[in-house]
Amino acid sequence: MRKAVFFCQVGDETPLNVDSVAKYASNLPGVEHVEVLGIRPSLDPTRIAERIRTVRLDRLVIAGDQPGFFKPAFTRAMDLASCSPLEVFLAPFAAWGAPAEDATERAKAIVACACQGVPFTLAAVPASTPVHPATLVIGGGVAGIQAALEIADAGKQVHLVERTGTLGGHMAMFDKTFPTLDCAACILTPKMVAVGQHPMINLMSWSDVEEVSGTPGAYKVRILRKARRVDVSACVACGICAEVCPVTVPSEFDAGISTRKAVYVPFPQAVPNAYLVDPASCTWVLSGGQKCGACARKCPKDCIDLSEKDRVEEVEVGSIILATGYEVFDAKRIERYGYGVLPNVLTALEFERLTNASGPTGGRIVTRTKRYNKRTKRDEWVFQADGPSPRSVAIIHCVGSRDSAYNAYCSRVCCMYSLKFAHLVREKLPEAACYEFYIDMRAFGKGYEEFAERIKAEGTHVVRGRTASVQMVGEEMVVRGEDILEDRLLEFPVDMVILAVGLVPASGTDELARTLEVQRDPDGWFAEFDYDGNPTETQRGGVYVAGMCQGPKDIPDTVAQASAAAAGVLRAISSGRGTGSLSSLSLSVIEARARTLARST
Amino acid sequence: MAIRVNPLLIDDLERYGAEDVQKCYHCGNCSAVCPHTDETFLFPRRSMRLLQMGLERRIEGSLEPWLCYYCGQCSDQCPRDAEPGETMMSLRRWLTSRYDFTGISRLFYRSPKAEVLAMAGLGLAVGIGLVAWGLGTGGDIRIYDGPGAFLRSEHVHRFDWGMAAVLVGLLGTNAVRMWWFTMYRDKESRVPLSLYIKHVLTLPYQFFTQKRYAECGERKPWLLHLGLMLSYLTMLVLIMFFLGTMQSDTWHWQAHAFGYLATVGLLGATAWMIRGRVRKQTPLHRHSHESDWVFLVQLFAVAFTGILQHVLHRAGQPLAGNVVYVIHMMVAVPMLVLEVPFSKWAHLVYRPLAMYFAAMRREVLRARAPAPLPAGARRVQAA
Repeated sequence: MRKAVFFCQVGDETPLNVDSVAKYASNLPGVEHVEVLGIRPSLDPTRIAERIRTVRLDRLVIAGDQPGFFKPAFTRAMDLASCSPLEVFLAPFAAWGAPAEDATERAKAIVACACQGVPFTLAAVPASTPVHPATLVIGGGVAGIQAALEIADAGKQVHLVERTGTLGGHMAMFDKTFPTLDCAACILTPKMVAVGQHPMINLMSWSDVEEVSGTPGAYKVRILRKARRVDVSACVACGICAEVCPVTVPSEFDAGISTRKAVYVPFPQAVPNAYLVDPASCTWVLSGGQKCGACARKCPKDCIDLSEKDRVEEVEVGSIILATGYEVFDAKRIERYGYGVLPNVLTALEFERLTNASGPTGGRIVTRTKRYNKRTKRDEWVFQADGPSPRSVAIIHCVGSRDSAYNAYCSRVCCMYSLKFAHLVREKLPEAACYEFYIDMRAFGKGYEEFAERIKAEGTHVVRGRTASVQMVGEEMVVRGEDILEDRLLEFPVDMVILAVGLVPASGTDELARTLEVQRDPDGWFAEFDYDGNPTETQRGGVYVAGMCQGPKDIPDTVAQASAAAAGVLRAISSGRGTGSLSSLSLSVIEARARTLARST
Repeated sequence: MAIRVNPLLIDDLERYGAEDVQKCYHCGNCSAVCPHTDETFLFPRRSMRLLQMGLERRIEGSLEPWLCYYCGQCSDQCPRDAEPGETMMSLRRWLTSRYDFTGISRLFYRSPKAEVLAMAGLGLAVGIGLVAWGLGTGGDIRIYDGPGAFLRSEHVHRFDWGMAAVLVGLLGTNAVRMWWFTMYRDKESRVPLSLYIKHVLTLPYQFFTQKRYAECGERKPWLLHLGLMLSYLTMLVLIMFFLGTMQSDTWHWQAHAFGYLATVGLLGATAWMIRGRVRKQTPLHRHSHESDWVFLVQLFAVAFTGILQHVLHRAGQPLAGNVVYVIHMMVAVPMLVLEVPFSKWAHLVYRPLAMYFAAMRREVLRARAPAPLPAGARRVQAA
């Protein structure tokens, strides 16, 4: 069979060394013609057909980041040349895990398989390995919780490592879920408690994964158990320690809009429900034991040991589920929205805490008021429960998303949570005007479109057009934007601006990817094995992804993916065999496998 | 009337410099950051939209491109790198070619090679013609001024006025065509004669002060542009009305003082602009169409040869002075005959006209009942 390989790229930058792949392709058996067509070539089917005739080709392979983009021209060309249009095969690099320079070998394998007419995912199946029955889940947000419960409920051991002092992740901070407007905590906290009490789950909060060694199915994981300095089993969360603690710092759980002490429990429903000492702000820790120590002295249960040291624990697991989640985009990077400068410009997460009944204002939506801080002798802007309500609120979509200067991707959840915010504002402050500034309304899920329509019907002014800036004009905060559908340029004086910030991978994702030898996609999220066919496994055998750490997704999708990852783990455990790492397969092995498969079909 | 769509328009515009229009996803960021946009003239997003839809006639009738001074904030903040600022610039080139009925402008913009060839050809013809004229009228190449001079100022003067007549004729017809496209053809918003009279002062005001450019955020580009324009104008007045004085052997400091000032202005401003385009640091200078280079280099060359022939003459080198004078004319005549009506230069007419037209259109449209606004919102009015 006489074959030709055409290289066509869609992306502007091609980190992959296409030339070396092309050189390799030209030496493959049966390949008579190799052509590098470059980035977004304009393809003329008649000319390709002519080439097919002159070189007498029977099969075409289109290789590139997204070769499907170019397939119609080649299929047409085969048709014109009176060849079978079915003999056009794709070698998609991006989809099968060869997006970057270091993946040249993978790209070669993908091309080799396509030349044989065999899908790469069929030929490149690593040998299975025996699987240890215990599982490590990294991340204690809703994805990690769901995956851990699924596996533990099936009677298998789970080690759940959580970086912060409590389970819950971002979902615990939310007020309501969209589109059902259910209380987020009502869904999450029972699951958190179930994890905390589960006999098959070893919950390791305030811990980090330090090192992973071993092979797929038999990993040895070193876990850094950071000193909590409070005995979890003894602490009854009475709060006396926090009362006497003299240090006040911004609360992470309240997204920085309220404060906590250096010894704290992240929030009342925390699991484990025990205090911990923040070594970054504790006077005793920072002074090396010279100063303070008030909490340890006052603790009625005597369960605070400020001198506790970090320790390392090692566990053996067969599978690892990554559920490390996300962070919100740093809105300070876009100066024209005034975040960090104007007191009443909030990020979505801050507003989420503000409107939450467990937040600093008890759920009252108020603007920040100026208060004199006696200790720092400076004015500061704070939320007070009796503060003035905003008369108008602007919600700006796509902050840091769909923007080539920041993140080109859509963060997927912002449209919906913004609509939810509009509903909450209108519900709590019926007199307030609420404006949504959007580019495209992406209400794609079950019941989402209906939710969007409902919010519009509730009287929120939904304005198509991204605002350019938030500025103070005198005493007034003014949002300026084009109202595209009405063809006019408008200014909106508002008391509060909520920035629908996009999502980025959680900090530490890159280190974890290196530790685990898991690939990341160009946006920094963990790369799944096959976007369509195998979205929970990674190319590293026995390592699964669940939730946001694989890419932005909403709670239902996160939970679904977590359960799917758990299913993969359970399949491996119950069959006793799990998939190995793709990197264990050499190019020649994949080539040979592809040839065998091609012959047998 | 049926709306005609030209799906190839966007491809055609690529030849004029706009390559990224298709990337635009209409977030409206550009219009919102633009310091010049207002209710009536919303841009650049609307122009991007018209282009994407191929509504050729609507674009032909739009004044928006002339109201933009390319401060580049839109391109800087565009989330899609769609270069709205460069699109407006390209639309100005495209409109120039549309207003021109001869088709020469279209040829020049689409084929820089043709433009350069035409310049060279005309320059050569001018050179040969002048030499022939000088010799034919019994001029002596060693005499700069007075009887027996190689290029007698009164001859050049007459030639200049003839050229001016051609120029005014061409620019005038193009201006009428511009009016036809933008003001007359749109029956919905035709302007009564009274408004034409009421706003007529906009024309000289904007022409001489370029005040609108000053509202573009930074003042430096405006000052530079104004300096260049005033220098050019000064030189034009000197040459059209005082050529004899300028060229005579006797020293007239009043005329020369103005001449030197204008020369410094022309050389300084063009040199600065060339530097900017080479460095590509501002959005305005990041993309340079071939016509931009022709404009700047030609203007610099004209100013440079002009002052050089003057210096040589005053330094007692009439022969060298005359040679440089011929070269000066070989550069200047193509610039005036081909560049002014058919290329970038033409904006000296279209911009003030557009502002005049825009002022009237604004008044007509504002008198109409506007659509209701969302509660609390305000319209952004023109500055």
